[in-house]
Amino acid sequence: MIASLLPSISPGTLLAGGVTATAASLWMLLPRGRSGRAERSSRWLGGLLGLAALAAFIALGRRLGSVGEDTIFLVVALVAVVSGAATVVSRSPVYAAIWFAMALAGVSGVLLVLGGQFLGVATIVVYAGAILVMFLFVLMLAQPAGLAPYDRVSNEPLLAAVAGAVLLGILSLSIGRLAADPASCCAVPATKAALLATDPGAGPNGPGTVDLLAADHVARLGGELFGRHLLAVEVAGVLLLVALVGSIAIVSRGAADDEATDSRRATP
Amino acid sequence: MNVVTPAPLVVDGLLVGAILFALGLVGLLARRNLIVMFLCAELMLQGISVSLVAWSRHHGDWGGHVLVIFVLTVAACEAAVALVFVLQAFARTGRLDSAAWQSLREANLPRIVDRELPATDAVPPRFPRLTPAGVAPATDEDALLEREQV
Amino acid sequence: MNFSDPSTLLVLVPLVPLAAAVLTVALGRVLGRRSWLPAVAGIGAAFVCAVMLLSGMAREVTGVGHDQPARPVEFVTTLWEWAGVDAAGMSGAAPQAFSIPVSLRLDPLTATLLVIITGVGLLVAIYSIGYMHGDPGEPRFFALVSAFVFSMSMLVAASNFLLVYVFWEAVGACSYLLIGFWFSKSAAAQAAKKAFLVNRVGDFGLAVATFLLWMTYGTLNFHDSVAADGTLVPGILGATRLADASAYAGGAVGTAICLLFLLAACGKSAQLPLHVWLPDAMEGPTPASSLIHAATMVTAGIYLVARTAPLFVACPGALTLVSIVGATTALVAALIGTVQNDLKRVLAYSTISQLGYMFASLGTGTLLGFTAAIFHLVTHAFFKALLFMGAGSVMHAMGGVIDMRRFGGLRRIMPVTAATFLAGALALAGAAPFAGFFSKDEILAALHSRGWADAHADHHEGLPADGHAAAAAVFRLVSSPTDAARISAGPRASTLDALDTPATFRLLFWMSLVTAALTAFYTFRAVFMTFTGPTRVPEEAGHHAHESPPSMTVPLAILAVLSAVSGWWLFSTHSLATFLAATPSFTAPAVAASATPAVFHWDLAIQGTLAAALGIVVAALGHLGRRSDGPQPERFLGPLATLFANRMYFDQVYAALIVKPLQVIALIAAFVDRHLVDGLVDLVARVPLGLGGVVRHLQSGIVQRYALAGVIGALLIVLAVVARAMG
Repeated sequence: MIASLLPSISPGTLLAGGVTATAASLWMLLPRGRSGRAERSSRWLGGLLGLAALAAFIALGRRLGSVGEDTIFLVVALVAVVSGAATVVSRSPVYAAIWFAMALAGVSGVLLVLGGQFLGVATIVVYAGAILVMFLFVLMLAQPAGLAPYDRVSNEPLLAAVAGAVLLGILSLSIGRLAADPASCCAVPATKAALLATDPGAGPNGPGTVDLLAADHVARLGGELFGRHLLAVEVAGVLLLVALVGSIAIVSRGAADDEATDSRRATP
Repeated sequence: MNVVTPAPLVVDGLLVGAILFALGLVGLLARRNLIVMFLCAELMLQGISVSLVAWSRHHGDWGGHVLVIFVLTVAACEAAVALVFVLQAFARTGRLDSAAWQSLREANLPRIVDRELPATDAVPPRFPRLTPAGVAPATDEDALLEREQV
Repeated sequence: MNFSDPSTLLVLVPLVPLAAAVLTVALGRVLGRRSWLPAVAGIGAAFVCAVMLLSGMAREVTGVGHDQPARPVEFVTTLWEWAGVDAAGMSGAAPQAFSIPVSLRLDPLTATLLVIITGVGLLVAIYSIGYMHGDPGEPRFFALVSAFVFSMSMLVAASNFLLVYVFWEAVGACSYLLIGFWFSKSAAAQAAKKAFLVNRVGDFGLAVATFLLWMTYGTLNFHDSVAADGTLVPGILGATRLADASAYAGGAVGTAICLLFLLAACGKSAQLPLHVWLPDAMEGPTPASSLIHAATMVTAGIYLVARTAPLFVACPGALTLVSIVGATTALVAALIGTVQNDLKRVLAYSTISQLGYMFASLGTGTLLGFTAAIFHLVTHAFFKALLFMGAGSVMHAMGGVIDMRRFGGLRRIMPVTAATFLAGALALAGAAPFAGFFSKDEILAALHSRGWADAHADHHEGLPADGHAAAAAVFRLVSSPTDAARISAGPRASTLDALDTPATFRLLFWMSLVTAALTAFYTFRAVFMTFTGPTRVPEEAGHHAHESPPSMTVPLAILAVLSAVSGWWLFSTHSLATFLAATPSFTAPAVAASATPAVFHWDLAIQGTLAAALGIVVAALGHLGRRSDGPQPERFLGPLATLFANRMYFDQVYAALIVKPLQVIALIAAFVDRHLVDGLVDLVARVPLGLGGVVRHLQSGIVQRYALAGVIGALLIVLAVVARAMG
């Protein structure tokens, strides 16, 4: 792996290099309305830089955590990140949606590896199965012929790429701090520790923690959800209802507007 | 104080979440297509979800998981409402361009118009299309199959 | 009538015209052509009240013989406290409680003037029914006349210098509004502005004099009042202070107060050098000129000086200056009047001249002088109102033309107007036995008595010895500068007191005599030019060239009768002089001691009559029966005629000395304001404008740019937080 070639580089350098490469790569990959040839070369270069940025972050992950030790995690994380990047830079919105489905699959894998068994499945079912399909339906309803000019240009690509990369840098820095000194930010307050101590299941993280990977994971998550968070669940249900009613209201009003303007309807 | 050490993969999960969130942010800021913008927003939510689960793993409680479930719920609502808006916007302008809506700008400022783009040799892919919602199946089939705009 | 408490009547006199004014303003449109109703009714009611007050006052005063020292008669009613500050709230070395009560007073002077104001006001209002008929501003006119009667009544009834100042300004405001009544006419608007601005100079004097009075006497009340803590506060003209001859400041402060009063009086009564506004004020409606600029408002200055007689008597220099200003004004205005061809302007200069007479009389400082001035004020109110209304009648018939050269022989067209005008002219010229003859004689006597004190005392050899001696002593007392210093409370006399010599008054007497001749001349010149000679009518007159309606001629007739008999009646009974002598201001020892028995001065009467006859004869030679547009005898004056015709170039001199420099300063100020101050303000305004011009491009309407800006801002904050956390 490329990442294994970089053990001697310090985390700071890795971070700086990764952030810079991310910014440059995203800027080159984003559609900037150039001619076919220039665009292609730009995308190749951006892809290479993206790979370099990826390598830098894998090395950083190795240095801070355990990336690379768990091969399954590495694979699903790579799928998620690469597909996510492809979602962002795809010219065609349809391709972007399909890449997003791929990213969802990766994310679902990551969630599974991280112990979110229910969430991994739910993401696939809710997102890929419902939301994304809805997106695709809309795309097919509202799809101009050919590649729209606004799909070939971006809004302030350089500034956006730099802003995203800087955000990534700051987050990585904070995560690195967590890895280096867990006590600095992750101390559990005494009250919560006392609360956790009453939990019967002693997790692998010590007394008072729950074992998320227990066999009855989903049952206990459900118990948690409909126990401590019952009110929030009810509120969420109301929110869904409101969104449903709102959507229908907007659509019907729009239909009324269209009715007034649609000559085909006016002269049946 | 009960100090906990990071569980395995927590830092890695957080890193993946951060990367996904940053990618989504870049897309949301840069892409002009309304639907791609929403896809990018969803990508940011995915990054958040991954981070939450990682933190849940770190703390050893159910909070992150529960929150992710709510994120899914809210994302579904958001998508429903937002897609309706996108459809309405498209019905009015015939475009999915976020820059098509710039009336709320300072008085006397000129409208921002895209420069003329150079020709591209990329072959636009063709995808199936659906009948517009709420419109009766057409009498003129050619217009429905080969229309320039909806 | 129970005269022990006349406060109701006293309040009604100003209140009813005020109510009439408010009613006319409120109902002007409803009343339409009958908008004169409230004014005539209100002023009429006020006149009835004033007459009742006068008769009641007269009963109070009777029983005091001429030879006994007059007993002061006054009645004060305090309506409410207008403003008050405790002594504790005042700063300074000797804090005094400041209290301004709204007090009305009634004494012989006030009662007399109230009757004149409401009486002439009533006649003018009746006259205006005909004169203003059909004018679109009719309701406004009657509202203003009512408001003027209210203000003027309050001015003479106020018992406080601050109230006097307030209504001094109020009558000025009414005058301004009535001069500019036809404000769409440029000349009227200009004349109103001029009157207002010139009066400002005098009003300034009154304001400063009020401040000085407060600082000197610690009160502004005329009457004695009781303070909150029970102590007596002696009013400036109250009985306590009047009893003490040394209670009035002389020296620099006293003279300053008196000179400021004189300045105020000069402004309001159109005396030199502030007389320039009155001739222009003739742009107003003639009834307004008649009421305000002939009979009443312009006599406010006379009233002020008469009211403050004790203060003036303490400063002989200032008092003499009053006489000098008066006599000079009388002469100058008469000279200018001789060549004017505008009938109303002739009358305007005649008013200035007659007011000058009154000031000359006041300046003598004797009881005779003060009562003579008020006497002349009364008779002048009658005959000058009559003359103005007669001129208005002519103007009404001539379609607004007032230039005497353009009409003539009007006695055949307007017999009533001609007859009444002639009566007024005879009174003005001082022909016996018309009113002006007696009042002018009194004034000449007052001046003569100061010029030839010993000789004058010899007139009264048949009198009781003590009265004679007292009179002579007082003349010496008042006329000698050293004695004047003794009666003044100040440590030293003013340098102005050197003016107070018999020689001064001899000069003033001769000036007044010349003025009398000139008065007769210009008056009869106007009469002859207007009413004799071949009958000519300007084409503007059209079908109006006939006698005026009864509503105009009846007031003329009433005033003509008054002009004819009031002088003889008031003089022969000595009623007015005796009555006025009971005014508190005239009972100050220095004034009251100068009382002399009323005597008809045959020698002065003959001199005055000769002067008047001379003037009439010259006017008859030049104008009687001739065409008024023909060559005039005044051309023999040569350059002097030009000088007089141009009003002695007062306006031009003022324009060059005051108006032009002020205009230059104003231009500079305008330039500085427009370019420097405004420039600075514009500069301040351009800074945010420029910044906004830069920033407004951020407001592009593209939502993603806003989102980008938000993200960058959030990142900067997070960066700052992280940098701090990292140390």
